[in-house]
Amino acid sequence: MSRARLGLLLVLLVLLGAPAVSRAAGPLDQPGYAKAVTCAACHGASGNSRSEAVPILAGLPPAYFKKAIEDYASGKRLSAEMEPFAKQVKLLGVDEVAAFFAAQRREPTPVRPERAAVERGRAAAAQCASCHGPEGQGDAAKMVPALAGQPAAYIRNQLLLFKADKRSPGDEPLTKMKAILKPIPDATLADVAAYYSSLR
Amino acid sequence: MTRMTRRQFLRASGTGVGVLTVAGLEGCATSTGEINPKAGRRVVVVGGGWGGATAARYVRAADPSIEVVMLEPNKTFVSCPFSNLVLSGVRGLGSLTFGYGGLRDSGVKVRHAAATAIEPDTRRVRIGDGYLVYDRVIVAPGVDFLVEQVEGLAAAQDTVLHAWKAGPQTAELAKQLSAMPDGGAFVLTVPPIAYRCPPGPYERICQVAWYLKTNKPKSKLIVLDANQNIVSKAALFRAAWQAYPNIDYRASNKVVRVDPGAREVTTDFGDKVKYDVINLIPPQRAGAIAVQADLVGADKRWCEVDHVTYESAKHRNAHVIGDSTIGLPVPKSGTMANAMGKICANAVVNLLNGREATPVPPVNTCYSWVSDREVIAVVNAYKIENGKVVQVEQKLTPGQSTVYAQHAEGWAKSIWADVLGNGGVA
Repeated sequence: MSRARLGLLLVLLVLLGAPAVSRAAGPLDQPGYAKAVTCAACHGASGNSRSEAVPILAGLPPAYFKKAIEDYASGKRLSAEMEPFAKQVKLLGVDEVAAFFAAQRREPTPVRPERAAVERGRAAAAQCASCHGPEGQGDAAKMVPALAGQPAAYIRNQLLLFKADKRSPGDEPLTKMKAILKPIPDATLADVAAYYSSLR
Repeated sequence: MTRMTRRQFLRASGTGVGVLTVAGLEGCATSTGEINPKAGRRVVVVGGGWGGATAARYVRAADPSIEVVMLEPNKTFVSCPFSNLVLSGVRGLGSLTFGYGGLRDSGVKVRHAAATAIEPDTRRVRIGDGYLVYDRVIVAPGVDFLVEQVEGLAAAQDTVLHAWKAGPQTAELAKQLSAMPDGGAFVLTVPPIAYRCPPGPYERICQVAWYLKTNKPKSKLIVLDANQNIVSKAALFRAAWQAYPNIDYRASNKVVRVDPGAREVTTDFGDKVKYDVINLIPPQRAGAIAVQADLVGADKRWCEVDHVTYESAKHRNAHVIGDSTIGLPVPKSGTMANAMGKICANAVVNLLNGREATPVPPVNTCYSWVSDREVIAVVNAYKIENGKVVQVEQKLTPGQSTVYAQHAEGWAKSIWADVLGNGGVA
């Protein structure tokens, strides 16, 4: 390489590096990262909750996430803790936050349910599979959530709310499920929750 | 030949600063001059509590090309939230104590040393005789106590305990409570606002009252509150106290004097109250380093900051987070410090990369244990309007419940991991 060409190359390299600070893409390039970051206090890093009763948000379909935020904000899903935060997320931009959590890899709950409860729940869960899938994987297109690996106490608490028609009352797509849950004893619902929580 | 100090040697040899560094950042050895001259961009975090540890981790998470050095004298992190349960014996202090391994795994250089000064003009943080140069510093010093505001306290700090920084004092106060004879008086004093953890004293009242009711039924708990009323979750605490007739709550009773010989405190009205065990929570201000670094405002107590970047209103390239801040309509809580830590870290990374910070409001969740198994909570949501944090809504739980206790336990697990990284959680 001639001296002149080497010189030109050096000039080019300097120019290319001109913005004194440049860097490769990082998490802050995702629009939702900065906005979703405070949720981790309860919902865990990247929405992978470690708690028994707080749901995992990682991998939730955006439409499902957005409906949950709407329902918490309006009080259709009753939660003293989530109602204010749902309003905050709406003001902040629910689409970006939903997209962020949808893109995160879901890690199943680290809280292991009791084995006997899982076995009892397996039999009782047979009628849930037609909608939630044989592996509890859900059906995003039909707004049916994946239950596999969600914390057991969270699933159980939601089942009890559905059974008592306290979660999203009046929502037509939930009518059938609420009718199925009605005659099932609470203890059996806890077993079903343990079963789905154990699935990977 | 006369012996030379290291400093004299450096001066005499004409090499100046920047030559002598001691065996890496991780050690505790003292250094003279510039410690580990920085190669690229560096953020120094002062304080490894809820705000500082979170910020250190999140700077690394958002941009691993930035070197992060965190200065924290304590070798372990002890959670203040839940530490009132140690007084009632419901939890052990060990279950609230974690290491900093998770931060190290995230690439944070943890140095167990105290920052002795911050010099914003030269962008230096001093550690004894040495100093670290920074591009930006995140100051998270928590609170310190205005001991001089209570006569007699300065000389009596070994026995008159605050237990307001979880650790040895928490264990010691639990011991004093457990050794108190049945029929004794436990006196708890609440400082005037602003102080760390607004509902904290009232949760502590529940825990001490529950313990006394269960273990020393002839004893009583006298509360001397400098404030006119319960500062946080007032109605919920009042309801919870129905279960504890052993509480004698006295509002607008500011303690101004303590006499450990006579086992007696004096209020600003001149009332004298005898105690068997005292828990005196003194008035507070930002951690000493914030005062030294001239980050506090005219009140000499708290630090004003930008509501989007948490950059100090007084010095550029210095950010302040957590309990030592003032001016945002937020409580001095662990959740808040954690939220500020993340938002500030992202802002710092954006600024160091020549970008604007994304305006993101913080969040607050405060769980309080009102017995050995029941919890109440307050939640605050915010937005940013014209560059300022504004509260959108505050909501309380409708009552106390074991369900909220389950949520509180879950919150703790998730947030400890968020503050310290996975490796930090035992």
